[in-house]
Formats: sequence, C-alpha cells, structure tokens
Amino acid sequence: MILNLDKNKKTVSDNYDAVIIGGGPAGLTAAIYLGRARIKTLVIEEMIPGGQAATTVRLENYPGFPEGIGGAELGSLMEKQAKNFGADIIYDNVIDVDFKNEEKIIKLNKREIRSKIVIIASGAKPRKMHVPGAEEFEGKGISYCATCDGPLFRDKNIAIIGGGNSAIEEAIFLLRFVKSIIIVQDLPKLTAEKILEERLIKHKNVKLTFNNKILSINGEKEIKSISVEKTNSKKKMDIPAEGIFIYIGYIPNTDYLKGHIELDKFNYVKTNENLETNIKGVFAAGDVCKKTLRQVATAVGDGAIAAFMATKYLENEGG
Amino acid sequence: MTKVMVYSTSTCPWCTRVRDYLNSKNIAFEHIDVSSDREKAEEMVRKSGQQGVPVLDIDGEIIVGFDQAKIDKLLGL
Ligand SMILES: Cc1cc2nc3c(=O)[nH]c(=O)nc-3n(C[C@H](O)[C@H](O)[C@H](O)COP(=O)(O)OP(=O)(O)OC[C@H]3O[C@@H](n4cnc5c(N)ncnc54)[C@H](O)[C@@H]3O)c2cc1C
Repeated sequence: MILNLDKNKKTVSDNYDAVIIGGGPAGLTAAIYLGRARIKTLVIEEMIPGGQAATTVRLENYPGFPEGIGGAELGSLMEKQAKNFGADIIYDNVIDVDFKNEEKIIKLNKREIRSKIVIIASGAKPRKMHVPGAEEFEGKGISYCATCDGPLFRDKNIAIIGGGNSAIEEAIFLLRFVKSIIIVQDLPKLTAEKILEERLIKHKNVKLTFNNKILSINGEKEIKSISVEKTNSKKKMDIPAEGIFIYIGYIPNTDYLKGHIELDKFNYVKTNENLETNIKGVFAAGDVCKKTLRQVATAVGDGAIAAFMATKYLENEGG
Repeated sequence: MTKVMVYSTSTCPWCTRVRDYLNSKNIAFEHIDVSSDREKAEEMVRKSGQQGVPVLDIDGEIIVGFDQAKIDKLLGL
C-alpha cells in the first residue's frame, strides 16, 4: 500500500464550499467530481481511504479490474485521484454537525469546519452479535475483520457466522491460514453469490450448517463452542470452534447525525433519487443511504450523483 | 527514550492508521508484523490478552486499537 506519511501535517482552512464526511468509495468519488468542478472540497476520514472496501483483501466484482484489485489499493488509488483534482483530505473524526443554518458546521475533535454543502458518505460498519459470550470474547477469539486478524488464527478450527457475500468471501480468504471452517447460517441456504459458494464448497475442510439460531458463545479462557437452536426442529446443540468470525450484516455510521437529519428506522439516511436529504444543501451517498444494494459499484455511482447535484445547488443557490 | 512497538498485520486498515499517525508525529517505533512471525503473534496475545490487531506497547503500557487520546497521553503529544 502507498502510505502518505504527511497525511496529518496538511494544514486545512476552516471554510469550504463542500465537505464530504467519509473517505470510502462514495466520498472519494464525490471528491473527484467536485474537484473537477473546481469546488473547494474537503474530505474527512477517520480511518484510511477506501472505507469498508479497504477491509477486504480483494474485490472481484468492481469493473475495470479483471484480475480483481486489493481493497486498500483501490482506496489509495481513489484518494490519489481525488487529490489530483484538488480535494483536501484530512484524517479526523466527525463527532457532531449543525445543519440549522445555511452555513453548515461540521464538528471534529479539536476544531470546527464550515461549509456551504455537505455530502454524507460515512458508510456502515459490521453489526455486532448480541448473545452471551459475544462481547466477552470480542478480540479474544471473536473478530469482525478477517483481513485484520486472519493470520492470528493459523491452524485453528474456526466458525463463520453468516452466509452472505462478506461471510463467504472472507471464509475463502481465511482458508489460507486456518485448519477448518464451519459456516453457521441462520437461513436454510447461503445468500452469497453462486460463484463464491462454488468456490467455497470445493474445499474439503469446509462444512456448512443451516437453520441455526445462535444462543451463546462458550468457553473459559478461550472459545470452545457455539450453542445453537435449530430453527426447524428446535433441537439445541453445540458447534465446536476455537475462533469465530462474524458477518451478520451492517449498521450505518450515523450516530453523529441523530436529531440533525431524517433517518429511517434502521438509522440509514433517507434521500430522494437525487440523493438530496431533507436538509437543503446536505446530500448523502453510498452505504449510509437507505438503498437496496450496498457495493463499491453502487457507492461510486452515488458519489457521482451527489456531487453533481451539489454542484448544481452551489451554482443556483449558495453561489 | 520511550520505546514504542506496534504489533500489526500487513492488511489491517486500523494498523495502517496507527503507523501513519505515529509517522506524522515523528515518533520512532518498532513495527512487528504478526502475520509472518508466529512467536511475536504469541507474544502479542500474551501481553494484551487480545487476538486482534493493532496492539501498541508504549514502554510496557498496552493499547488495543487506534486510541488516539491514549496514545497522545502516553507519548505526551
Ligand atoms: C468484508 C467486506 C467485503 C466486501 N466485499 C465487497 C466486494 O467484493 N465487492 C463490493 O463491491 N463491495 C464489497 N463490500 C462492500 C463495500 O466495501 C461497500 O459497499 C463500500 O465500501 C461502501 O462505500 P461507502 O463509501 O459508501 O462507505 P464505506 O466504505 O463504509 O466508507 C465510509 C467511510 O467513512 C468513514 N467514517 C464513518 N464515520 C465517520 C465519521 N464520523 N467521521 C469521519 N469518517 C467517518 C469510515 O471510516 C469509512 O472510511 C465489502 C464490505 C466488507 C465489509
């Protein structure tokens, strides 16, 4: 990965025409479009460029890369492209906002930034599991990021909870390190893309189990097993596991927006088809929005639309 | 001088963030890649009780994850 060691040294001003919250695929795409429109733009990112995409080893379904591309690599390429067109990027955490006036205020840990428009692109994070044992063993045998922690599970017999794209993609990645994997799914089948399923079940050290409601995660110092109840027969049983990776969906990063903007009942940002929120001059893009498919390809599309609409807004109103 | 060790894996985004942050503050640190070094991986688990990265060891004080406030405090930033 290309590291820009000067990231935090950049001096940024306190006034911008556009501020983008989140430097994932949606936010960085918006920055590219706004930069090319010669709009003074700042991206605020708390982790690293690429967002969730940077937490997966390889993306295979993003067009233009027939051999696939590393998630972190794609993130830093997008960052470079946004900077080429003049966007500023800082690494900090947005903790609150004030959208009451025409000038929007974005609050960081130690300073405030003012802007005419805001694009919310703060994405989502893994949904945590809430059963006895899940919290106690988090970071001690339970992980939500295979890319991060996979190598620490070498030669272990692990379980993966979930059966969607992320669960299966990350299972295939984990096979490099672990001894065996059991996929523990709540539904009667996997929901991942067929191509991923085909690739997974070729491996002899992979087992699948369906219709499981997770009851608890058990162990003393180390994880020993997962207790489940079969959703069809109501039978209870224990699945042995020495480590667990959890992929049971996502929740939006919108805590800092509560009370400031309209969210749906799952706390995703509500927008119209032009990605305008209920607040004039505030747009949203990517995984943070209420939408049907959350992928890099759709986040990038959203970023372009939000930036286009923001540009129009600045031309007509904020000027 | 304060001794700073960063245990991380090569592909973990928050590990990158920790290393970038220390670099930006001109803090010298020892980078330990636990994905390739099994003994060091065990050392990290022993020290932190954690099976997750990043882990920082600042003069024997252990920080799990990118906790900027705590890093700043221990390094007097
Ligand atoms: C394990 C995994 C595998 C995946 N595999 C694929 C795949 O193969 N193909 C595919 O197309 N998609 C994949 N996805 C989904 C894809 O990564 C997301 O759809 C995409 O990254 C969404 O982009 P985004 O910019 O909307 O949000 P995100 O990528 O979530 O980016 C949002 C950014 O905002 C930052 N942020 C959040 N809150 C704040 C705040 N308060 N202040 C400052 N910054 C903040 C976050 O740090 C993050 O960097 C995968 C996701 C995961 C987790």
